[in-house]
Amino acid sequence: MNAWLYLHFPHLLLDYQLALQPPELSTMPQALTQSHAARRTVVQANNAALQQGVQVDMAEVLASTLVPQLKLHDYDATKESAMLTQLAQVLYQDMAQIVLQPPQGLLFEVQSLLRLHQGFAGVVKRMQARLQQWPLRYILSSGYSPLSAKLLAASGHSVLSTEPADVKAAIAELPIEYSGLPEPQIEKLRNVGLLTLGAVLQLPAAELGARFGRAITTYVAELNGDFSAPQSFYHPPHRFDEQVELNAEVHSWPQLLFPLKRLLQQVESFLEIHQWSTRALLIRAHHRTGPATQVPIQFAHAVWQQRDLLSLSQLHLERQKLKQPVLALSVRVQRPESRQAKEQAMFSAPQAQTDSLNALVSRLQARLGESKVQSLHVHDDWRPEYQGTLKPWQSDSTSGGLLLPRPAWLLPQAEPTERQQWQLQWGPERIVSGWWNADTIARDYYIALDQWQRQGWIYQCDKGWFLHGWFS
Amino acid sequence: MAGSVKRPAALHCLTNFSFLRGGSHPHELVQRAVSCGYQALAITDECSVAGVVRAYVAAREQPLRLIIGSEFQLENVGTLIVLVRNRQGYAQLCQLITTARNRSKKGSYQVFLDDFMGTLNDCLLLWRPQFKVPSANVERETIAVTAQQLKQQFGGALWLAYGRHYEADDAQRYSDYKQLSVAHDIPVAAVCEVCYHEPQRQLLHDVLVAIRRRQPLETQVGQLKPNQDYCLRTPEQLQQCYPSAWLAQSVVIAKQCCFCLSELRYEYPAELVPAGKTASEHLRELTYLGAQQRFPHGLRADVKEKLEKELKLIAQLRYEYFFLTIHDLVQFAQQRGILYQGRGSAANSVVCYCLQITAVNPDQIDVLFERFISAERDEPPDIDVDFEHERREEVIQYIYQKYGRHRAALAATVIRYRLRSALRDVGKALGFHEQELRHYLRQIDRRDQQSDWQQQLLEKIPGLGQTHRGRCLFALTDAILGFPRHLSQHVGGFVIASTQLSDLVPVENASMPERTVIQWDKDDLETLRLIKVDVLALGMLTALRKMLRLIQQHHQRELGLADIPQEDAKVYQMLQRADSIGVFQIESRAQMNMLPRLRPQTFYDLVVQIAIVRPGPIQGDMVHPYLRRRAGLEPITFPSEAVKEVLERTLGVPIFQEQVIKLAMVAAGFSGGEADQLRRAMANWKSSGELRQFESKLIKGMRARGYSEEFAQRIFQQICGFGEYGFPESHSASFANLAYASAWLKCYYPAAFYCALLNSLPMGFYSANQLIQDARRHHITILPADIQHSNWDHQLEAGGRGMQLRLGLRLIKGLSQSHMQALLEQRPAQGFQSLQQLRDYGLSGADLHKLASADVLGALAGHRYQSQWQSLALQAEQLPLFAELTAVPTTQLAAPAEFQDIAVDYRTTGVSIRRHPLALLREQQQLKGYKLASELAHCRHKQHVRVAGLVTCRQRPGTASGVTFVTLEDESGLINIVIWQKTARAFRQAYLTAQLLKIKGIVEIHGEVIHVIAGQLEDGTEQLAQLGVSANRSRDFH
Repeated sequence: MNAWLYLHFPHLLLDYQLALQPPELSTMPQALTQSHAARRTVVQANNAALQQGVQVDMAEVLASTLVPQLKLHDYDATKESAMLTQLAQVLYQDMAQIVLQPPQGLLFEVQSLLRLHQGFAGVVKRMQARLQQWPLRYILSSGYSPLSAKLLAASGHSVLSTEPADVKAAIAELPIEYSGLPEPQIEKLRNVGLLTLGAVLQLPAAELGARFGRAITTYVAELNGDFSAPQSFYHPPHRFDEQVELNAEVHSWPQLLFPLKRLLQQVESFLEIHQWSTRALLIRAHHRTGPATQVPIQFAHAVWQQRDLLSLSQLHLERQKLKQPVLALSVRVQRPESRQAKEQAMFSAPQAQTDSLNALVSRLQARLGESKVQSLHVHDDWRPEYQGTLKPWQSDSTSGGLLLPRPAWLLPQAEPTERQQWQLQWGPERIVSGWWNADTIARDYYIALDQWQRQGWIYQCDKGWFLHGWFS
Repeated sequence: MAGSVKRPAALHCLTNFSFLRGGSHPHELVQRAVSCGYQALAITDECSVAGVVRAYVAAREQPLRLIIGSEFQLENVGTLIVLVRNRQGYAQLCQLITTARNRSKKGSYQVFLDDFMGTLNDCLLLWRPQFKVPSANVERETIAVTAQQLKQQFGGALWLAYGRHYEADDAQRYSDYKQLSVAHDIPVAAVCEVCYHEPQRQLLHDVLVAIRRRQPLETQVGQLKPNQDYCLRTPEQLQQCYPSAWLAQSVVIAKQCCFCLSELRYEYPAELVPAGKTASEHLRELTYLGAQQRFPHGLRADVKEKLEKELKLIAQLRYEYFFLTIHDLVQFAQQRGILYQGRGSAANSVVCYCLQITAVNPDQIDVLFERFISAERDEPPDIDVDFEHERREEVIQYIYQKYGRHRAALAATVIRYRLRSALRDVGKALGFHEQELRHYLRQIDRRDQQSDWQQQLLEKIPGLGQTHRGRCLFALTDAILGFPRHLSQHVGGFVIASTQLSDLVPVENASMPERTVIQWDKDDLETLRLIKVDVLALGMLTALRKMLRLIQQHHQRELGLADIPQEDAKVYQMLQRADSIGVFQIESRAQMNMLPRLRPQTFYDLVVQIAIVRPGPIQGDMVHPYLRRRAGLEPITFPSEAVKEVLERTLGVPIFQEQVIKLAMVAAGFSGGEADQLRRAMANWKSSGELRQFESKLIKGMRARGYSEEFAQRIFQQICGFGEYGFPESHSASFANLAYASAWLKCYYPAAFYCALLNSLPMGFYSANQLIQDARRHHITILPADIQHSNWDHQLEAGGRGMQLRLGLRLIKGLSQSHMQALLEQRPAQGFQSLQQLRDYGLSGADLHKLASADVLGALAGHRYQSQWQSLALQAEQLPLFAELTAVPTTQLAAPAEFQDIAVDYRTTGVSIRRHPLALLREQQQLKGYKLASELAHCRHKQHVRVAGLVTCRQRPGTASGVTFVTLEDESGLINIVIWQKTARAFRQAYLTAQLLKIKGIVEIHGEVIHVIAGQLEDGTEQLAQLGVSANRSRDFH
């Protein structure tokens, strides 16, 4: 009996990113690249790119010469592993025993599910149906051991059979490059003409061990299923706060619909797994600079299905305007509740309070929203307008490095003034800066007294004299 | 102090030789200082004088006193600026910089207050203490102690350098300086800190800060200067800014600094002249001694006249020691049996020929002595000497040993920002993503001569020009181009001093251990007329010596380079067939193309051949006219008798650099000095565009002398084409010498030729495999590497018909040479007996596996799989864990199939002497209807053919628009493919990536030149992969 299934996603990161975009964008050739030593090579490519001759492992320079319109992005194994975890959560609805094999694989124990899904074929069908919702390229294979299933799937062989003999035959054919062994080991095996896994498995274990060490005998035992390392199975998290990075800057809410759909699909999986529902979501759109745009969404009833989540969210979002382009989108499930549980009070009675600032702030944040609680920060910039900013409250706020004599009261807008009204005390402090974001100022600042002996901060620029703040 | 200072002095200026700190070139600062009316400008780069010579050039003949100095940053002290008063002071500064630099690795320095004590008696010191705001008592005390120390040491030569740049803490610092001045009786001088020359440079300076900190600029705003007042301000601005007494102090300081770089006099190492003789006498003696050898039948009158003229000029310019130094080096090389050859303009000199520095008989070419050395130019002659690349180090060690490390160091090379690095660094500073920048760079074809990089980018990415960031990227990348980035070492230019080199110029550590470099590069040295001796490395000389040695060993023929018979017709016939793989300089694909067209018949033809296949002549469209005239298809005409004299020997087409210069003189009326400026402009016109200023002068000059506009334009185009790529005739002649020698050896002693070449790799154009395939095509039997017969090097063995070439173990990748040689020394006469014996003699397990993989253990353990299997078992015996298992009988493994053997051969050695993979495919009927390379000669001109082969080379010359030359190799030889751009585009994938390329096309035969013009391309790599063979990487688009 082949008790294991293995799902391999050879282009997971790219496919996932494309899944967040309108489908027509997937027809553009796209690829992910990564540097290895001095070479930068393609590690994933979409079908459009592959059809035009781009290959995995091809040098980036060559690929982009071959397909000049090829869009390239950086590969990131951490991001890919995060996506794998999100996928595990989706599949957890059908499969109880999942092992993460980052960055691109998921291993499933099948035995325990045979009854539930009416046999092996039923399990496979169920899984395929679930994956249909996701435009991901994958290879699914069975195996009599975790390693046999993994090697087949990772090498692109989909053997779906209950017969160990079928798997054995396919494994024997597998070139040694696909053994998953470390490169030096593969090299050693090739050097003695052992070019397939079958050739290796035929040899007496003792002779192999004498030449290649214990690692290879362990490997053979693991492949045969005689020995298996303890697996650590996946447990779904109890909170949902996921973020997806967009491949391009997005300027309007309708363009965010695709990534939002995907996220809400995950929300449904999450709620389903726990048999929960929710009444509130927090959607955040992240920008290059500045705080994220937050859109809290309240549902009148507790909901858990994607279509319900989506329709209301869409209503909310259509009324919003995006002030800045969006680079990432995230969704947080707030206050999930058991589907059976009775309704709870909107705000539960206050607990015993600690008087620490943190506790106060977090309560304020809970009531008003995170962005509403802000504190003053000094930003390193010579331009006064850019120096003081309000930022969402952070407990470990660090102050800027520039210690300059600045008035406590800076006018929001400098006011034109007459030079004669002032008696200059100190100056000038000359500030000519800010060309990089096309907001150059060129001013000579003075500290000066007015006729009532009030200390003001005034400046001269090519437009004349202005009052910009008060020291007292 | 009376009145205001109208002509101020700038005493603290950083140039861009304070890498990533200074935002202007030295000459920009000088020009700005002159136009603002400064009376003095001090260049004070941080622990460096690398930029001063360039400033000196700019300030010559300007009403500006250039002061040499340097800035040092000391912890707890602040900034110290040392200014040089006189020649002694200059030496003291150089010594201080050398000391500070030697303590630290390349590019950094370490200096302490003690270093300034008692060592700078002829310098002035400006001090910028680091007051913290608000300052703590501890700091005030530290400052007070330092003030006492400095005052005690420097007395009246010490100032506080107050700089005001309108910042928030001005008032506080003003009072701090005043207090310190009164308390310790140290005068204050107004000394601005100048980081760039004009206000607009603030942008670039901000970017430099971000680059230095490797962070986007927007996150580093606190590190930027708050305004533009770090430029060289106008005298009026300075008067508003400082008390006039303090400004006057800075003028007082400037007036005390009287040193000028022109005072530096190079003193030669004296030990080369025997006591009691003058250098001139000694040189004359050596030259005539050499002349007896070089001209055994006596000196012809005209040669003697030339010789005397040279000696006179050398004496007049006092260059005797320079010649003697080089003579000494080549003497050393001769004694050690190291081959060498002088080249460059030195080959124009009879003296060099007599001193055995060069090997080109000046009789063979028309030497232009003025090109080598001239009184008018008054600049050091240029003598490059190439030595065998494997033994150059011996010569370098000789220099160090003879003169000592304190007297000899390498010249520097200034590494500058080029487009790629500039766009990347500026882009990152502006917050562009790496991936974006790589994308932009890919859109730029630097060989495109029609549009510059900005136009190209805007065409392909129009949006970029519409954003503020994009516009900044364009402007600032352009501004940073050419900025020095760091100092590196010159390939082999040594500066040797008579006593202490660091009296002349600071010396710092190079990245290579045990090497030191001075802070000036070759241009600086040339400006100051300091001499450098170029000790260069050339692989072909190594190969030639090895060839001669083999001939001596196996043919009992003692040959020196000079003994090789001249003008051998058989050698030229071989070259006319383009049979030149491995021959020096004329082995590249382009050269091989030219050989059957140019059909060299004499030495001078080779000189032309080498010079003509260069980007210069090709871009200047000189090749085709020359060929047509040579073939008699076009009349040889000259617009005038004067032009005829210059161009006659190259059939009216300018091919050599000297001809272009002479042409400017005779046809456009340039003076010798102007012509020389033109030569320099030609050498770096791409970077500076300097050449354009000569355009109108040249064309007007020629028009005025009655030449047609068309002729004038053509000559100018040719000069532009030459750029830095044109060869001087003498240089080409030196190369032709080696080309002829190596061709003669290939023709008469092919086995020795290939053997020595293979033993000298890496060098030249071809890989070991390509050389071996060529050797086999010349019917040389190649014997496989074998543990019982091979040495480390390849060797010749007598047997069969003539010499056979036995491959050596050096082919095996990753094998340790010293371990292998130790093993081979112990090899018994009857050979090794077992694998175990190899281990017993000390061979490591890893090396044993490499030997087994390379299939050289056949005699001991059977085929490569089996010998590897057994060698693995040997290693295991060392592991106690499996000790009990070794009793198990050894399994017999199946032998590898032929294609597997070939594949592993390539993988382990890069070479296979089994059948060619194409032969295997043909045997399997996979290449039906495909012609062999050797069959093409029998085809009709314009016949349709199919050919297939491994791609060994893809070349897309920048000069030939849109055409790619591909070389294919099959079992019978090489096939030259021409692919036009349209075809390349249509079959883009095969064109770019195929290892095995199958071509349908038309064969073109012009005499010996055979090409296949590709019509269809097919990628056959898959067929190769099915064999399990992955070919070596081809040389692509170099």
